[in-house]
Order: sequence, then C-alpha cells, then structure tokens
Amino acid sequence: MNRKNNFFKDLIGLLLLFFFLILFLMSDTLNNNEMLNDIPRAWINVNTIFLSIVIEAIPFILLGVFVSALIQIYVSEDTIQRFLPRNAIVALLPAALLGAILPLCECAIVPVVRRLIKKGMPLSVGVVFLVAAPILNPVVFASTYFAFRSETTNTILYSRMGLAFVLSIIIGGILYSIFKNSNQLRSDVTVHHHHHITNIQKPTFFTRIRDVLHHAVDEFFMMGKYLIIGAFIAALFQTFLDRAILTTIGQNDYSSTAVMMVFAYLLSLCSEADAFVASSFGRQFTDMSLVAFLVYGPMLDLKNTIMLFAFFKSRFVITFMITVTVVVFAAVVILFGFIL
Amino acid sequence: MRKYDHLFHAYIQGIILIGFALLILGLVITGNIVYYIAPMMMPFIYFAMITFFLLGIVQIFRSTKKDSEHDTSCQCDHDHQIKGPAPVKLLIYSIFILPILFGFIIPDKALDSSIAANRGIQYGSGLGINQASAQTSVKEDGEENSLARAEAFLEDPEAYLSSLEQFSDDYIEEGHNPYELESFYDEDWFNEYYDELAQELSKESIITVTDRNYLDVMTVLDLYLDQFIGKEIEILGFAFRELDFTENQIVVARFSITCCTADAGVYGTLVESEEARHYDEDTWIYVTGTIDRGEYNDFIIPVIKDASITEVDQPDSPYVYPSYY
Repeated sequence: MNRKNNFFKDLIGLLLLFFFLILFLMSDTLNNNEMLNDIPRAWINVNTIFLSIVIEAIPFILLGVFVSALIQIYVSEDTIQRFLPRNAIVALLPAALLGAILPLCECAIVPVVRRLIKKGMPLSVGVVFLVAAPILNPVVFASTYFAFRSETTNTILYSRMGLAFVLSIIIGGILYSIFKNSNQLRSDVTVHHHHHITNIQKPTFFTRIRDVLHHAVDEFFMMGKYLIIGAFIAALFQTFLDRAILTTIGQNDYSSTAVMMVFAYLLSLCSEADAFVASSFGRQFTDMSLVAFLVYGPMLDLKNTIMLFAFFKSRFVITFMITVTVVVFAAVVILFGFIL
Repeated sequence: MRKYDHLFHAYIQGIILIGFALLILGLVITGNIVYYIAPMMMPFIYFAMITFFLLGIVQIFRSTKKDSEHDTSCQCDHDHQIKGPAPVKLLIYSIFILPILFGFIIPDKALDSSIAANRGIQYGSGLGINQASAQTSVKEDGEENSLARAEAFLEDPEAYLSSLEQFSDDYIEEGHNPYELESFYDEDWFNEYYDELAQELSKESIITVTDRNYLDVMTVLDLYLDQFIGKEIEILGFAFRELDFTENQIVVARFSITCCTADAGVYGTLVESEEARHYDEDTWIYVTGTIDRGEYNDFIIPVIKDASITEVDQPDSPYVYPSYY
C-alpha cells in the first residue's frame, strides 16, 4: 500500500516536470497559437503586468529569504540580545539608522524582520525596520533624485527621506506603547524554546550551507504564495483602474493626499521605481500628495499586507496599518501645511 | 494524524523551482523577457534563474534522503511546513504553478493602448524631469536605427551576466549600490547634458528618435522647443488617440519602463496629418514630419506637422528605458 502510494507520488512529480519541459520546448509554438489570440487584450495586459511583477519581485524575495536563512543558521538569539539596547525605546534610533544601511526593499524586508523577531528582536524594532528600510536606502534615494530632477530645491527627495526616518521611529514608538514586546507572530511556536543539545558535534560548513539552502526554499514557498496573490490583485488594479478618475477626486490638498495614499497602496510598486510613477502625476498633484504617495507606498501596500497578515496576528496588522496611515497623513499635512 | 511527508514536499517544490527557472530561461531565449522586465534589472533576473535551478536541484536531492535526517540536522522550529489538509496543499501549490503555466501558455505581448488610456499620455517628457544623464554619446545614437538597438539588446545578456557577480556582491555584502551618486548631484551638469544634446541635435539635418535616445529627445524638445521649430523629425511608436482628437490627430507613443511594467509610463508626441485617419490604435507607425509648437489641455507641447506615416512591425524592444541606467 505504502509502496503504491510512493509510486503514485513519484509519478505526479515526474508528470509535472515533464509538463514543464514540454511547455518550455513548445513555448514558441504556443505563443503564436491562433486560438489563444482570442483572449481579450485586457486579460493579456493583466497577465503581462502580473508576470512582470512576479518575475521582478522574485530576485528580491530570494535575497530576502537568503538573508533570513543566514540569520536563522548563523545568528543566535543570544547575539541579538547582546547587541540590542535593553530599553526598547532607546533601540528605536539605532534601528532606524540600521534600516538605512540595509539595502532591502519592501519585498525582501518582510521575511528578514519576521526571522529577527522570531530570534527575539523586540517587536517595535522590527516595525522600524519594516517601514524604514524600503525607503531609506541608496537605490531609492537615487531614483527619487532622478525622477524629481527638475525640482531645484529637491523638496520631494528630502521630505521623503526625512519623513521616512522620523516616522519610522514614531511608528515604532506608537506600536511599542500598544503592544510592548508581546509576541505578535502568528506562529504558535514560542521564541526561546529550543536550547536543545541534540547536535553535540558542531555542524560542519557543508551542513550549514545545506541548511541555509533548505531554509531559503522553505521560506520562499511560504512568502511566495502571498507575493503571487498580491501581484495578481495589483495587476488587476493596474489594468482596470482609470487614473483620470483619481485626478478628478484629488482636487484639493487633503483629498488628493488621501487619494494618492490609496493609490500607492493599491499599485504595490517597488520602492525603487515608484518615484518615476509619482513624477508622471506631477502635473495634477501637489508636492504634499506626491510625498504622501512616496512615503506611504513602500511602508504599506497590497502585496505586503497579505504577507503581514500571514505572519502576524490580525489585531497587530490592523493596528499597524491604522498607525502607519494616520501618522503618514498627519505628518505630511503638518510638514506641508505648517512648516514648508 | 498523517505524518508530514517531507520527501514528497521537497520533491514537488524542487520541480516547481525548476519550472520557474525554465520559464525565465524560456523568456530569455525567446527574447520575450523585454515585455516584462527592463534591461537594467536583468542581472537580478539571471541571479533568480540560476538560484532557482540550484535550489530546485538541492530540493530534489533533499527528497531522496531518509526522512529522519532533516529533523535531527536542523535545529530549527518547523514553522514553514505547508500546512492544512490535502486540498489546501493542492491550492497552495497551484498558486505557484499557475504563474508558470500563464507564462508559458498566454502569448507574450507588450502593453497596449488600453493601458495607455488608463494611465494617461505624457506629452513630451511630462515635467521634463524623468530623464537625466547617460554616458552614451548622442552622435552614436543618431546614427543608430532601431534594428541596431535590438541587436545591442541581444548582446546585452552576456554583458549583464559578467557584471552580475560584481553587482550582487556589492549589493549584498557591502550594503552599497553600484550607482555613483556623487556624479549626479551637480545641477549644472544636468542642464549641461541637455544643453549639449540640444546643440548636437540642432546640427543634425533630421532628428532621428531611436529607442535609446527616446526619452532624452522628448526632454530636449520640451526644454528647448523654440530652437527646434521647423526641424525635421523621424520617430517610431504605437498609434494612440485621445477621445477628443480630430480626424487628423494621432499620437505616436512609447511605454517607458524603469523596473517592470507596473511602473510603465506612456510618452507620446502629437502628430497632425491627413494620413492619421488610416491608422488604428496600437498599430506601430513610423512618422516623419516637421516639429512645431502646439497646445493640448493648456500645455505647450511639440507637434509633428505635415507628417507622413507608414505602418511598421513592432520593434523587438517595444518599450523605452530611462537612459541613465
């Protein structure tokens, strides 16, 4: 019985592999297939954008899961405890600075933060990473600089970077005051549970490499499904949402800021490219709403919300979303309404 | 309760990973990857493809090991098993298999005018801000036609592959990105670049807009329109019509991609010609005519007047890219 079962399982795998190979070899023929040309163009556009987002995000998800796997294997909980300041509030500032050094975008940061929190890093510090790292990094700095090149004062660039830094600390602080450092990860596995000494001999270099790879794969399959679902929904919005509607809604300062934040959320752009999209709105939107778009989008968007809900408790994710939304909106209004 | 079958899951996951690798490889071989990803991001795509092959093989090897081995060798909590009853597992794997099937089966096509309509066309360069630098000399570009550009792209993968190692090493280990920030800081330099480009273009008897200089020329025409009135221009793009266009108005447009098609913007030039009515939207057209000053929605924009239009095949690289990458 068991043997039969195994044979059946092997067969499924082989058939799947065979199927992929056939598709691979026939892809040219399939592409010119008359029958498939009858698919409505809108759905082909959805498919193009969907695959585009998936293929584009995959390398960064892989980077994220590798960093996470390396942390899992090489960084012990004690190390993290040693390097972090005892006081969670004091830890927020260095966390924001570290977020600026980590060149991870919003796809890659989620598995890394999750792993670090699992390893015992305070929740509030993880939150700071989560919102700071996707904006405060050199690639995003450069792309924002280019996209708003014609602005001689660079208001948008510096507002974006400055707000990301300050707001990440504020958001971390607010979430600390609500949740302290309670465990908000969805997994029922407790953080400090394994001090088991099953492996008496030190793992060799080879087994460590193997473990890193295995972890990376496991985590890719965990993260990947949310990315794919998120990418699909984003592709639907990208294809069917008429942007002219936004301009008609976004006439005054406050409503256009709100509209741009909703828009940033739905589009789920990569933080490295969103500045170019923002600059293409430039004519119709105020600086205030563009900065809101550029700060809010990387902190929170559709595709990473799905990932967050999968890994953190719902109550935490909802609180996180409300906090980020309110803080970003308020900060942008204060900055552009009263300071600049 | 049934035991979690590590071997089977590792096996299936390995095959899915190889499926992803094959999908990317297929797109690279056919060249259709240009419909999805900007050339500048290709190093990351090669990295993903190679990693997928590697991980796929590792996973399949893992599935041949004895079940007990994983449990003892790895001191981790088993938080990443695929959980749930069989139908849920099937659903989860389907989520991964579907993009692969879509990728292979649904025809690879560039974005079309319905997307352009939704996003809104940027006439000229929009704000004239999307384009900066470029180490490529314009003279060179002027001599190039789109065919040469296509050839250049086909050669690109090799160059990218060689730079891949360098790039990802920098990216991961040093925490730095390979772009030189400092050189872009200089405002004068920015103006100088377009100033020089404008000078060079004025000297040409006819302005040839290529895939490579597309966005730069759009910017120059925006910044120095007066200087170019009356000059001949040739440009290639897909046809597009706004709802309020007259019969002899048409836009020749291109999508500009920074990373992937999610960030696509549409850059177009208004064409006024008796021939315009003969061309449907999404037809690829080659337009030659004279540059003039026009107005649309209260913005001063360049217009191509007295244009002659011919239908052409879609170029191998349907999108254009910011030149400083």
